[in-house]
Parts: sequence; C-alpha cells; structure tokens
Amino acid sequence: MILKIENLVVNYGYISALRGISIEVDAGEVVTLIGGNGAGKTTTLMSISGLTKIDSGTISYHGQDMSSLNSDKIVKMGIAHVPEGRNIFPKLSVEENLKMGCVSQSRISNTVIQERLAQQYQLFPRLRERRKQMGGTLSGGEQQMLAIGRGLMSDPELLMLDEPSLGLAPIIIDEIFELISGIKNETDKTVLLIEQNAVMALGVADRGYVLQNGEIVLSGTGEELLHDEDVRKAYLGG
Amino acid sequence: MYVLQQLVNGICQGSIYALMAIGYALIFGVVGLVTFTYGEIIMLGAFSAFYYFIVFGDNLILSLLCGFVVAGLVGIVVHKVCYQRFLDAPRYISLIATIGMSMFIKNLAIIVFGSTMKGLPLFFEGQNLVIAERTIDGVRQQLSLTYLQVVVIVTVVVLSIALTLFLNKTRIGMRLRAVSQDRKAAALVGVNVKNTTLLGNCIGCGFGGIAGILLGLYYNSIIPTMGGVAGLKAFSAVVIGGLSNIAGAAIGGISIGIVENLGIAFIPNGSGYRDVYAFLFLIIALVIKPEGLFSRRTGTV
Repeated sequence: MILKIENLVVNYGYISALRGISIEVDAGEVVTLIGGNGAGKTTTLMSISGLTKIDSGTISYHGQDMSSLNSDKIVKMGIAHVPEGRNIFPKLSVEENLKMGCVSQSRISNTVIQERLAQQYQLFPRLRERRKQMGGTLSGGEQQMLAIGRGLMSDPELLMLDEPSLGLAPIIIDEIFELISGIKNETDKTVLLIEQNAVMALGVADRGYVLQNGEIVLSGTGEELLHDEDVRKAYLGG
Repeated sequence: MYVLQQLVNGICQGSIYALMAIGYALIFGVVGLVTFTYGEIIMLGAFSAFYYFIVFGDNLILSLLCGFVVAGLVGIVVHKVCYQRFLDAPRYISLIATIGMSMFIKNLAIIVFGSTMKGLPLFFEGQNLVIAERTIDGVRQQLSLTYLQVVVIVTVVVLSIALTLFLNKTRIGMRLRAVSQDRKAAALVGVNVKNTTLLGNCIGCGFGGIAGILLGLYYNSIIPTMGGVAGLKAFSAVVIGGLSNIAGAAIGGISIGIVENLGIAFIPNGSGYRDVYAFLFLIIALVIKPEGLFSRRTGTV
C-alpha cells in the first residue's frame, strides 16, 4: 500500500471537517471518495497535500510520515493534486502552465520537459492548438484538461483529482472519465478520485469510500458500492 | 520649447516613479497585499547610498548595487515581521503591521541619521546633452537633458528590461509569476510559496532602494521623512496602472511624472503644488477608470 491515512481529524475553528477517517490506497489502484457537499472530501485531499493543518491522525506515504511536511516537499514525493475549481494560472500560457507542473523537479532537463509536454499534447490535442493562449482564456473543459495535464507533468506516482467533472458539459465529462480509465489501464499510476458524480466515479474505480459528515460510513469495491442499497438511495437517485 | 523641456523633465522624473512602481507592483503581486513600508524602503536605499559615498567614494554603479542590497535585506526583515508571522491570520493584520513598521523605520532613521536634510554628491554637474536648439529674437532656447537625467533614464530602462527578462525567461521568474497569480495552485505544483514570496518581496524592495537613490540624486537632497510622499506616489502609480500589472505600473509612474512637470509649467507659481497635481491625477484617473487605466479585468490579482 502506498498511501495510508489513519484516524485523520481536521477542524476548521469550531467546525469539524473530518472526524477520524482512515483510508488506504494500494499501488496502481483507482480509489474514489464519494459523498455530498461538506462531507470532507476536499479536506481529505488538502490534508494529504499539506494545505490544511491536521489536528490529529497520521498520513503516511510509502511508510514515511508526511503529516508535517510542506506542500512542495509532498509534490516531490510523487503526489500530484489537481484541485477543485482547477486553479489554472490565468496569465501564463497553456505551455507555461504545463511547465509549472514539473517545477518541483529542479534538476529536470529540458529534453525531459519537452517529452512530457509532447505526452500531454498527445493526451489533449486541444491543448496543443492553444498552447500559446493564456490559461484564463480557455473554456471550462479545456481548463480541466490543462489542470490534469499540469498534474501529469510531474510524472506522479499518485494522481489526486478533485471533482474533475464539476461544471462541465456531459460530453466533456465522458472525455475526462475516458482519460481516467486510460490512466488506470495503460499506466501504473495510482489515482485518488473525488466525485459527486458517484455513478461515473464508481464505474471507473477499483474501490470506493463513502464519506458523510466527516466520517467514512461505507467502503467496498466500486461494484459493491454501485449496488449497495444505501448508496443508491443517498447518491444515485434510488 | 519650455513646455517640451518640462515634458522631458517629466519623463525623466516619471521614470524614477516608474521604477518605484515596478517594485511596488512586484511586491503587491507576490504578497497579495498593499504595503505601507515601501516609502521607508525607498528612503533607506537613498541613505545607504549617502553613507556608501562617504565611506567608499563616488562610484555611482556600486552605490546603486549597495542600495539594492540594503533595501532587499530590509525587505527580508519586513517579510519576517509583517507577513510570515501572520500567514494564517486575517490579511488586514499584515497590513497594519506594515504601517507600524513604516513608523518604526522612519523614526529610527530620524534618530540614527538625524532629522536634517542631507545632500548626495553631485554627479556630472552642469554637463548637458543638447537635443535641440533655436534662437528667437536673439534669445537662445535649448531642449536639453542633463547627464544625470540620462543616467536616471538609462538605469530605469535597463532595470525594467532585466526584470522583464527575469520574470519571463527564467524558471524562478515563472515561479514568481505563478505565485502572484494563484498561491494555492503554485503550492500544489510544488513551488515553495514561502521562499518565492520572500524573494519577490526582496527584489521589489531592492528596486525601491535604487529608485530612492535616483530620487536623492535628482533632487540632491535626502531626509528621513522623504519616504511618505515617495511611497504614496509609488502606490498611486501602481493603482493607476491597475495593481500588480508591472508594465501598467511603469506607465502610471511616467504619467505621474509628466503630469507633475506640466502642472508646474502651465500653472503660474505652481511649483509648490507638485504633489497636488500627482494626487489630483490619481483621483481623476480613478473616477474615469476605477480598475486602473491599464487593467482589462477587475478583481484579479
């Protein structure tokens, strides 16, 4: 197992966002966290990335405790986080945005950067067409592709995607999920996926956790959760 | 001819304001906050040159370098005291801390340097570069630049080009731009946001220090309280340019310089109201285009 979260507690002031969750992610898996608004999904990813202060519990990666590391160190360990709302750099060009993805690897050579750029352009041909354009001028779907491409630029072992389908047209959502299953089937990367679109997320995931009010109420394989009575009622519309 | 000469003077003076404004915009970009300590940074740059000239003799280029380093180092102190400690606190706390820091530095400077006006050495005294000349009714009129003005303009242009290249062509420059556009995203791709902010703040302050020296040389006088108006003008230029937009800030600075000098040229006995023209221009500019003259969108930093 590469990522192990134990009894993670995070409070925002008087509000508790996570009340002691434990999650494990194995190498090569696609694991999804599903749950409604305010369940603590984003907080979980922010804690892994070192962007939120943890109140108690541990997060370890390959057995190494990283709950007190700064986010730049965590990226160096091979974890890429594609945030909710995408957070594209609006006044950097598409290509510069992508290059920022490997900024953590200070010794990386220009040839490797070019190779990785070529990989992203192959995955997302639309980004190649727009590579000189400013990030802020892209459409929502293109920005999501750019955010994922930027995440992949660091060639991460673990890719964390936060609501990649948020606010996108159905046809683009299909494209994004096709890409995720592509990553699952064709590479050895591990994916931790957060989604409100539970059907699609469980469809692509090996395993899933259901979060509710900062606690894990259910876990199982994607297939099991898809057919679970409670999950269907709560998240899949009966 | 007189008006043209004032225009040239305005451009020259404006280029000093532009340099201040560029530094300010850089700080505003990476820190994401207005700073009130910048005027004092400008003042300290000027005083560092004053003591440099006394101790090491009259070397202009090295004194500029000295001003850059001193102001940059003070920038580190400001960063540690005013920003770093309050990263998780509400933003206005940092803002108030910079006001306090400004008062502290100003008063410390009065104690250490004395409250009297001091003069910097005169460089290129009386040497002019004549651009145009004509004689009307036996009166000779000249359009000229002093050598000092040439040095000022060249310094500002060189530094602006250097900064632009640094920001656009180097990996560190790209990180600075990334942090100023989206701190969270910068952290997520692995930028050390803390150190990058510190570096941006340092470079911005360093530019302020150099601008302070140029200002001191231009007026041939420095005083510990000079920072107040200078800092406000830098801020005005940045606001006119649309905050954190570096090219806009430079244009804002130059236009303030031009407005000041043309005001002096056109209004009889108007030379005492120099600052009035500058801030009147700011107010008018804000009334016409509140988001800044060179900003396309509002609300983005």
